[in-house]
Parts: sequence; C-alpha cells; structure tokens
Amino acid sequence: MKSLIATMTVVFLITFLAAPTMGAGWFWDVGNGIGFAAFAGLLYLTITSNRRLDVRAHQILGYAVLLLVVGHAFWFLLGDATVVEFIKIGAPDYMWLGIVSLILFVVLITTANVPDRLRVHQNYSSFRYWHRLLTIVIIAGAAYHIVVSNFYLGTWYQAALFVLISIAVCLGRAYWIKLGQIAIASPVVYVALSVIMAVAFTGLRNLPA
Amino acid sequence: MKIVLAAILTAAGLIIIFGSPIAKEKPVLGYYYESPVPILPMSFAHADHPTENCIDCHHNYNDNTGGGPCMNCHTTNQDVWPLFERQFHDLCRSCHAEKAVLGEEGGPPRHCIKCHLGDDLP
Repeated sequence: MKSLIATMTVVFLITFLAAPTMGAGWFWDVGNGIGFAAFAGLLYLTITSNRRLDVRAHQILGYAVLLLVVGHAFWFLLGDATVVEFIKIGAPDYMWLGIVSLILFVVLITTANVPDRLRVHQNYSSFRYWHRLLTIVIIAGAAYHIVVSNFYLGTWYQAALFVLISIAVCLGRAYWIKLGQIAIASPVVYVALSVIMAVAFTGLRNLPA
Repeated sequence: MKIVLAAILTAAGLIIIFGSPIAKEKPVLGYYYESPVPILPMSFAHADHPTENCIDCHHNYNDNTGGGPCMNCHTTNQDVWPLFERQFHDLCRSCHAEKAVLGEEGGPPRHCIKCHLGDDLP
C-alpha cells in the first residue's frame, strides 16, 4: 500500500513541478489523470515483481491497470470525435507509441496466463525473460507517449525526472529485489487511489482563478 | 478474459473506423487550403482574438516568406508541410497556455473539436 501511494505520488508530483495550476479543462485533465494513474500502476507492477511474487495478486492488479489504460484511451475516443483522427496514419509518433504500448500490454497479459503461456513459451525462464523485456518496451513506449506529447511535462527537468524514474524502474531490478516481498495492493485500493489522484489532478488544475 | 480483451479491441477498431457514437460534434475531413491529403478543418475566430498582434500568426507580413493566405503555404510548401500539425498545435497551445500561467482570460483549448470545426466566425 505504501509503495503504491509512493509510486503514484511521484508520478503525479512530477506533473505539478511546473505550472501546477494550469489545466486544459475537466475533460482533458480527467482523461490524462487516468492515464498517469495507469502509468503509475505499470511502474508499481514492475517494482513489486520479485522472486517471491504473489502471482495471482500481480495478475489481478495487471487487469486493473489495463482497465485504466483502456479507460484513458476510450475516454478520449468516445468524448471527442476529433481524437480518432489523431491516431490514424499520419498521426504523431508519440500517439502511435501510445497505441503500440496498449496493444503490447494486452499481449503481455494474454501470454502470461496458462494455458496460453505454455503455447508461447517452452519453459518458465523463457516466459520470464520475454515478460520482463515486453514490460520494458511497454513502459518505454508509454513514457515516450507521455513525455513527447508535452501536455503536462513542459520543462526539461520534468521530462528528465519522468524518464529517469522510468529507467530506474525498468533497469533497477537488482535493487527492487532487495526491498524484499511487498504485499501487492488490491485492485480496489489501486482503482480508488487512481480516482483520488485523477480528481485531485483535475481539481487543482481547474480551480477558479 | 480473452473474450473481454477481444471485445475491447474490436470496439476500439469500430470507433476508429466509424467515429464516436456519443460525441455530438464531428469534424469533416477535407482538402482544406489545398492540402495534399485530407485534413481536419480548423477554426480561428479573429473576432475572439482582438488584442493579439497580427504578426504573431501572420509572420509573412514582415518576414517576406510569401503572400496570400498563410495556410496555403503551410499545406503546399514541401519544407513546412511535414511540420504542419506540430507547428499549429504549438502556436495555439503555447499562446493559450501562456495566458493561463499569467492568470489572464483565455485558458488552453479544451476539447480538440473546439478548434477542429470549420470557421463560423470571422
């Protein structure tokens, strides 16, 4: 629970380091608040993965993170008819990488479950290797989508911090393992925290002048 | 779970092909400003921007980079056409964001559709 709060707080705090009260209206900010919560969930899933992992809890939380990722995408696709043109051929690379990351996340989840996992991977070490590699690719793609779209990380130090924590989570596995077993938060707690973060993210940015 | 995921991806595909079933306003793509490919319509209500300096957007008025409607150059010149989307988003967003930071009236644009409808104001 503490590590989930810490992960989410760090992600959201970075967005508030510059122009913290500048919003783009509730529609845009709620959608992106959900997106940042989803990204924090991805990082949390990675940090809490170690040798004594509670696989079932990890799996269920993975579904909750996917729910938010899908929620982020559908929020914009359904709410604004223009957004769909922003993900077609000719769209900016940062939008394409957002979509690729979403699709790879679906692949990551479906190929992690037995019996599909056994069809794709010959042994457990092969599965672990590809699962971790795919996770790194997904986090890299999502981080690129967030940083280069330049909606909330407008300064170089915000972008640098965001990239640094993404790299630290992806490549700092040796350190995360030393933290020992962390009880993985329940999906209800994660979704509730995400709602709180997204509401605070939107509210603070849209306070009346 | 696979069925749910397949349903989600199918729904996303249908929205991409047919558009949002709940969004009220929908943009109409077209060859606006002689663009080489269909693009979204754009609106800029001059009447809503009376205090802005004209040359902040109409740079060709004083840098001799061409005449005529500015949009034609941005859609037909091979040097600037690839930058079209980024340049215009940056132009509009940076100005609106700057005003928001300064606490002035006129925050960042809200829904994308608010700018991507045809001009109905002068």
